[in-house]
Amino acid sequence: MPDFTDNLRPSQPDGPTTLTRERQQSNIATEELGQHLLGSDGFLERQARILPIIQQEPLFSKDQQQNLSRPERFKLGVARAKILRRMRDLHKWSYLEYQMAEYLVDDVSPYFLHMEMFITTVREQASEEQQSYWLPLIESWKIIGAYAQTELGHGSNVSGLELEARWDSRTREFVLHSPTLTASKWWNGSLGRLANHAIVVAQLLLPDPSAPDQYVSHGPHPFIVQVRDMKTHKPLNGIVVGDIGPKYGYITMDNAYMLFDQFRIPHSAMLSRYSNVDPSTGIYTKPEKPALVYGSLTYVRSNMVHRARLVLARAVTVAVRYSSVRRQFQDRDGDKMGPEMSVLDYPTVQIRILPLLATTFALHYTGLAMQTVYKSARQDIEKGNFNSLAHMHSMSSGLKSLCTILAADGIETCRRAMGGHGFGGGSGLIQVNNDYLSKPTVEGDNWMITQQVAAYVIKKMTAAVGSPDTPGVDETDARFKGFIRNKRRPGRTLETNNRQAYDAYEQRVIKKRNWNSLLIQLHKLSRAQSESIIVTTFFDALSNDKTLSTPIKTVLWDCYRLFALYTMENESFEFFRTNAVSQTDLNSLESRVQDLMARIRPHAVKLVDSWMIPDYLLDSALGRYDGRVYEDLFNRAHRLNPLNRITFNPNYWEDEIVKGSGDNGRGILAKL
Amino acid sequence: MPSPPPDWVKALKPSGPQGSELLQQERAQSNVDVERLSELLHTKENLERRASLLALLQPEKVFDKSQNHTLGRVERLQRSLAKAKRLQQLAEEHKWSMQELHAANDLIGEPTPYGLHASMFLVTLREQGTPEQHKLFLERAEKYEIIGCYAQTELGHGSNVRGLETTATWNSNDKTFTINSPTLTASKWWIGSLGRTANHAVVMAQLFIDGKNYGPHPFVVQVRDLETHLPLDNVYVGDIGPKFGYNTMDNGFLLFNNVKVPHVNMLARFCQVDKETNQYAKPAMPSLVFGTMTWVRANIVLDAGGVLARGVTIATRYCAVRRQFQDRDADPHAGETQVLNYKMVQVRLLPLLASMYALHFTGRGMMRLYDENQSRMKAASSPDQESRGAGPEQLRAGANLLADLHATSCGLKALASTTAGEGLEICRRACGGHGYSSYSGIGPAYADYLPTLTWEGDNYMLTQQVARYLLKSARAVLAGKPARNDTSQILQAYLDRRDKGASFDVLDEDKDIVAAFGWRTAHLTFEALKHRDAEQRSWNSLLVDFWRLSTAHSQYLMVKNFYEAVSSPELSGALDPETKGLMHQLFRLFSLHTLEREAAEFFSSGAVTVRQITLTRTTAVLKLLDDIRPHAVRLVDAWAIPDWHLDSSLGRYDGKVYEDLFRRASEENPVNDLVFDPYPWNSALLKNEPAKSKL
Repeated sequence: MPDFTDNLRPSQPDGPTTLTRERQQSNIATEELGQHLLGSDGFLERQARILPIIQQEPLFSKDQQQNLSRPERFKLGVARAKILRRMRDLHKWSYLEYQMAEYLVDDVSPYFLHMEMFITTVREQASEEQQSYWLPLIESWKIIGAYAQTELGHGSNVSGLELEARWDSRTREFVLHSPTLTASKWWNGSLGRLANHAIVVAQLLLPDPSAPDQYVSHGPHPFIVQVRDMKTHKPLNGIVVGDIGPKYGYITMDNAYMLFDQFRIPHSAMLSRYSNVDPSTGIYTKPEKPALVYGSLTYVRSNMVHRARLVLARAVTVAVRYSSVRRQFQDRDGDKMGPEMSVLDYPTVQIRILPLLATTFALHYTGLAMQTVYKSARQDIEKGNFNSLAHMHSMSSGLKSLCTILAADGIETCRRAMGGHGFGGGSGLIQVNNDYLSKPTVEGDNWMITQQVAAYVIKKMTAAVGSPDTPGVDETDARFKGFIRNKRRPGRTLETNNRQAYDAYEQRVIKKRNWNSLLIQLHKLSRAQSESIIVTTFFDALSNDKTLSTPIKTVLWDCYRLFALYTMENESFEFFRTNAVSQTDLNSLESRVQDLMARIRPHAVKLVDSWMIPDYLLDSALGRYDGRVYEDLFNRAHRLNPLNRITFNPNYWEDEIVKGSGDNGRGILAKL
Repeated sequence: MPSPPPDWVKALKPSGPQGSELLQQERAQSNVDVERLSELLHTKENLERRASLLALLQPEKVFDKSQNHTLGRVERLQRSLAKAKRLQQLAEEHKWSMQELHAANDLIGEPTPYGLHASMFLVTLREQGTPEQHKLFLERAEKYEIIGCYAQTELGHGSNVRGLETTATWNSNDKTFTINSPTLTASKWWIGSLGRTANHAVVMAQLFIDGKNYGPHPFVVQVRDLETHLPLDNVYVGDIGPKFGYNTMDNGFLLFNNVKVPHVNMLARFCQVDKETNQYAKPAMPSLVFGTMTWVRANIVLDAGGVLARGVTIATRYCAVRRQFQDRDADPHAGETQVLNYKMVQVRLLPLLASMYALHFTGRGMMRLYDENQSRMKAASSPDQESRGAGPEQLRAGANLLADLHATSCGLKALASTTAGEGLEICRRACGGHGYSSYSGIGPAYADYLPTLTWEGDNYMLTQQVARYLLKSARAVLAGKPARNDTSQILQAYLDRRDKGASFDVLDEDKDIVAAFGWRTAHLTFEALKHRDAEQRSWNSLLVDFWRLSTAHSQYLMVKNFYEAVSSPELSGALDPETKGLMHQLFRLFSLHTLEREAAEFFSSGAVTVRQITLTRTTAVLKLLDDIRPHAVRLVDAWAIPDWHLDSSLGRYDGKVYEDLFRRASEENPVNDLVFDPYPWNSALLKNEPAKSKL
């Protein structure tokens, strides 16, 4: 309906004018940088090709999704996931192409566990015979599966799981049983409403050979179990399963609870590539290589490290563009006649956003390095060499912890740096924030898993102290031995993270302090270790690069310095205490950081442009490429907001809520 | 709703030890007198009032909270208006005072669409209206015959009130004002209660008389018809859409196409346009407005303590119930360890426990200062202080208690709301996976609280005012003016001892901790002064220093207020010696933990030595964590937050965490009513619904 608002324009200078000016003042070739970051495996080409296909489908319009109730939003999520899966067949998409489509639609797929953990577990842990039976069913989507490990009372500590799988030697079946409420499976994705099968991890209970009426636990093992009827989709008898309710984010995922009541499954349900129960004797055969079990967790963590960059880039893109367009107050020292200042020119805004812009590149190179380490370690393992496993495990744990924190906190910092509008649905950062905030606590809580890094580092340091003059067997070993040799000479500068590693070793191994009392120090150690990896990787990547043009190289070096010095400033006491940096140098960090921000500032818009995140994915009025921020915000409020189609009755003495409904508010109460 | 689970499920118990047993153990191992501490914090009167309100509200079906996190936006707002109406009916029926209505609203736990009517609209009419206008607008508003809101911020303009674009042009011929929105960015935006509920608004608009701009002024404008509730002609008004939180509030937009309002609609207690001469008459008592802002901020500091207490209560109780892994150094046959025994859980939660007490006592301290100064402010107003935006440092320095309170309140507001907001997220993460569930009760509270970090002046913008004030005070001290308020005194103390050095005994002397925080503020102030005055650096280039300075000063004020509260006779009289000792421990934990996090500044200012910081970190803080740990549950119990208010499975008083999570998931979750067809190639989504779904 036309009205007087149609003729209104934002005040000048408007967003498009501002962003055009921003782009003119930088000599960065965004296409070149974009290709450098995302071109190598065809990511950008796929994005360009698949985006128009996705945007044509009405179900993928994001206009109304924030207004829906949880049941409606979940239904929309399932409907989208179904179409996406059908489009994969229609367009003959590879898995990478399908993933691109999913990335653009930006819903957590309710089929995610079917496509990832369910099939991966069968591939990795099922015997050949089991694989030949199950894989065709899974790959053709004849069955839909999930992965059920964590329980209501038990998360990271897998050995504490309570669900029992008791071997009944009489019928040669396993009996799944939940002895308590805390044994209920919990948080298991895709299982709440969608899956009809699941990998169920349960304590394997077998008769004690010496006392057959006694049962002995052999620890948690995976079983493949049908949980719902293939026709009615209702839970099978003896199983109670459902969705666990609303969450901070992940609204399109049906995380589940599930309980079993003396539920019988055949001998063949136990995945038996590594461990087995002899059906005739009930005797247990052990896994050959227990270390492999944490291989898949490492895979998940290293992927999270790799993905952190694009999530953060999204938030930074929105924040940089909007902060350029948004103006507030005149410059105090300037003439008072001009327009208000672009808020990105305030150092208090820069100090929040520009180090994060630098962080996107730091995360990028670290993500690549993590992938490389993971791949080469996998190759070693396939060849039967397990030496690099501990290093990879430690590195992925530490980096998962640090990178997901950097990204999660970074999104929120960007959101807040945008003032009031950052809180609105038009910021485009709400769903991504809500979804991403699961990351610091899933797949190993970010605080808990730093113990794994610390344990590894202490072990390596102990070895180095034992024989400091022998050649290093790997990079860490060589570095630690060098540190010990240096330490013997007075007045030498000691690297911060090496010194912290040595301190931790001293506390635990020499002074025998108890582990719990050291946890805080160990957490700091892990963080320092991971920060050192990120800084080193960033430095090496830029030093070794031979392809980038000079303007880009120059600004990336500035980003490197900004990231490194900003990190150092935040931890300056540690750097001082460990004699890594002098007090004089530390005192000058603040002005160095400001100088670097001033150098990067003119390129900020072009740098975020280089991440090539399409407007459709951003779904943000504030972060639009063209800068039409206010027009878009108004359009969302004016045309897209269903609340404005309802007229309320505001008088408190009348129970009617919607004017003219005449239901005295009963409609509202009826929904309770 | 889904039908209840079968009997075999109902019969299941969580594995032992039960949450209720663990919380009993926790409560048994501490002697803290919860009741006396509660009364010290909240007063007996407030606790009793809350208990009787709770008994009244909880049984009412309309206040049921079980579907809050499941409903769509449109339904939620309707529910929210239904709650607001019922509250108002109860207020009338039981003749509630303002405090009672506030307390009731607090228990409901969500903003309602009457929120801005009941607060800013009434307050503005009362404070800025003339007696004639009180009769015309305020009396009707108090009876809810007209419902209003406060329309200041615009699509393109937030903190900088001077940049507002909406205009109010005086028409001398027919003695009216024309309200107009010349651009799209002039649209009022974020205005609470305006989107669907209000029929009136106080509109801040640039006043033009005869082509001259007199700056922003308040006008009462009717925006909707009182019968049909539809927008009036040439008024375009609506809700701005879904948000991160606060979705039970109808934040609105508003545009005017040359709408005329009569002369009497400009709120004229302090400034007016003379009807006969068409002349503008200047503000009379602007500092009263200044005082209101200070009062609002003092409340934010006090509330920040309460908001944080909600998160800390939930996380502390849950971390006492939740067990994970065996202790590496303990007997391998022992059960899993309560996660609250892990140092890395303690180091996140216990300093926040201390912070909520620090915020509470600081808020109390500010309120007292505000009350003491009320009469003085009214007696001697200082007319130059209203029109300043964040920026110039023209404030009169010296022994001006008003200025001291103002600088105090805006810096503390920033620190307090950030501490509470970020603290809630730390609590949520400390709850591990279950913290991510809405049933944790933390996420929803966090989302609703977050705007406090940016409204009433963005936290970063506000810090400039503190810095400006500190610089001014430093110049005065350097010029030899006598140090008559606390700020001047810490600056003077620093100057007196600068050459000798500080040597504060922060590890053993509580008083020295306060002095060390003061020292650091003074050091940073003189550093900033050097940059600004001697080196002539631009204001803009110093904003980051100012932000750090403001944070440092606000931390000092919290440490000082906390110290004064725990050393006060009021506290000694109210608590037994053991609990009093514990309050001192909380003070030390809050202060030393802050000192350790800001180690670099304390060290480089010379307030403490590297050795002291290292000892703080490796010994003192750990010892405090050990000392406070056994009392953690009782210390959160003392905040006396009712379960109904917490609305949390994890934070229940009785520790029945797992039973409650399971009950909500299985019985209060409408998603479990849906039976899906899971196969991608079947377009039907559901098996238990006709093929045409709503999508």
